[in-house]
Amino acid sequence: MSKPSGVYDNAATGDTSFRRTWNREEYAQKAAERQAREASERKERYEAKMAGKKYIPKVEVGGEGEKKFDDSKMIEARRDRIRLDENLNKVQIVPLGSTGGRRGKGPGYYCEACDLNFTNSLEYVEHLNSKQHLLATGQTDTVERATLDMVKERLAWLKQKKREQDQAEEFDLAKRLAERHKIEEQERSQRKERKKVKKEEARQKKMQEGSIVHSDGLQADHGQDYAMMARMMGFGGFGSTKAQ
Amino acid sequence: MSKTADLPDAKAMLDTRGLYDGPTIHSMNPLLLMEKIIRERIIDSLFWKEQAWGLNAATLLDRAVELSYIGGQYANQRPTAFICLVLKLLQLNPEREIILEYIQDEDFKYVYPLTALPYRYAFIQIYGGSEEVKDGGSSANGLHRYLRALAAFYIRLAWPAAEVYKTLEPLMRDYRKLRLRTQSGYRLTYVDEFIDELLTKERVCDIALPRMPTRTQLEDLDELEPREPLVSDVDSDEEGEGEGEEGEVEGAGSTDEQA
Repeated sequence: MSKPSGVYDNAATGDTSFRRTWNREEYAQKAAERQAREASERKERYEAKMAGKKYIPKVEVGGEGEKKFDDSKMIEARRDRIRLDENLNKVQIVPLGSTGGRRGKGPGYYCEACDLNFTNSLEYVEHLNSKQHLLATGQTDTVERATLDMVKERLAWLKQKKREQDQAEEFDLAKRLAERHKIEEQERSQRKERKKVKKEEARQKKMQEGSIVHSDGLQADHGQDYAMMARMMGFGGFGSTKAQ
Repeated sequence: MSKTADLPDAKAMLDTRGLYDGPTIHSMNPLLLMEKIIRERIIDSLFWKEQAWGLNAATLLDRAVELSYIGGQYANQRPTAFICLVLKLLQLNPEREIILEYIQDEDFKYVYPLTALPYRYAFIQIYGGSEEVKDGGSSANGLHRYLRALAAFYIRLAWPAAEVYKTLEPLMRDYRKLRLRTQSGYRLTYVDEFIDELLTKERVCDIALPRMPTRTQLEDLDELEPREPLVSDVDSDEEGEGEGEEGEVEGAGSTDEQA
């Protein structure tokens, strides 16, 4: 768009010069472009009708820089599942005041192509199937009809895939047993090691406790019971903390 | 019928405002072969909207080989993937050859019983311990059993009676296991048992099948030849051996006369 160079730019030249000025050439060019586009669409529509086909509108592709018009694609079946739990347990930041209406990003499922937001998975999937979404993503509302050859090819491909999968799954029992043995051996030795360390720690602790009890005159006659209780409650003993 | 494109879902085919001019089966809208209640449950289901949307006869195979059970409705009257794909087939209305391609399964080798025991028992005897029979369709040999069941169901719904008998009866020598999911849980069945149900029962997989004359009626009308028993060739050279054990074959008309 041509940018008017300030409303009061040429104030000195005359009375009416405060009015906006327009770049006439640019707008003329735009109009010509639009007319050409509409004419070509009319022509295509007419040709499709003459050929007995359905007219499929062309869609814009590309960004601001290079605008092109491309034929819409036919619908293809989904290759993967729609990941409805993609944003589960995630914190999302949404603009303030985006609670009402479907426009704009908000909590829930967001469709970027149509700038719409849905709070319900079934609604969202329905939207992805809708004409509105198809048009926005450059798709027609038709599916290519399969021929017998396509079916045969697909079946052969699926069989091949299955066979490869089965081969990958095949396993050697002896090898797996050996592997298992190795793992078990490792685990056993680790367990042994842990036990040893624990035992050692327990012995050390016992020795320390013994020394505490001995040093504490008050607990001498009650012995281990008091010491245990004191340890459970989180302090060294029932006696005074003052130096004896 | 020379369509060049399919529709992604059943919306347009059902929303006819009393004026339907699409392809017909049994001179009616194919989708109406399924009762209204279950049809609407299917169309409301997530599988239909997500997985069955935009399929054609070729991409439908992707979903069909992933099936792991057959059945109509399960749990809280939810439609199974199997029945959703049946509706999809009705909507797509594929050519005859494509359906025949679905049911033929060259990977699967028929096993002829060595004794004259009833077929299935003999088969299990031979294959009893192998994973082919045990697992629920994951081995290469089991890739197509659910696809076959799907196509067989479609044939029963859509094709004329004589053709149904001619096409489905040969499948009765397929004794592979199928899982059947019902409202109350899973049940075990076999391909031949399923085919037999399709040919003789009125309701299978929670769908009322179109009325079909019995085999005898069609034979009387000369539309069908008398059925050739599947076991005749085996009986002739094994004569006199397992006489006591000779049983009736599931669904078959009759075996050869005993000596």
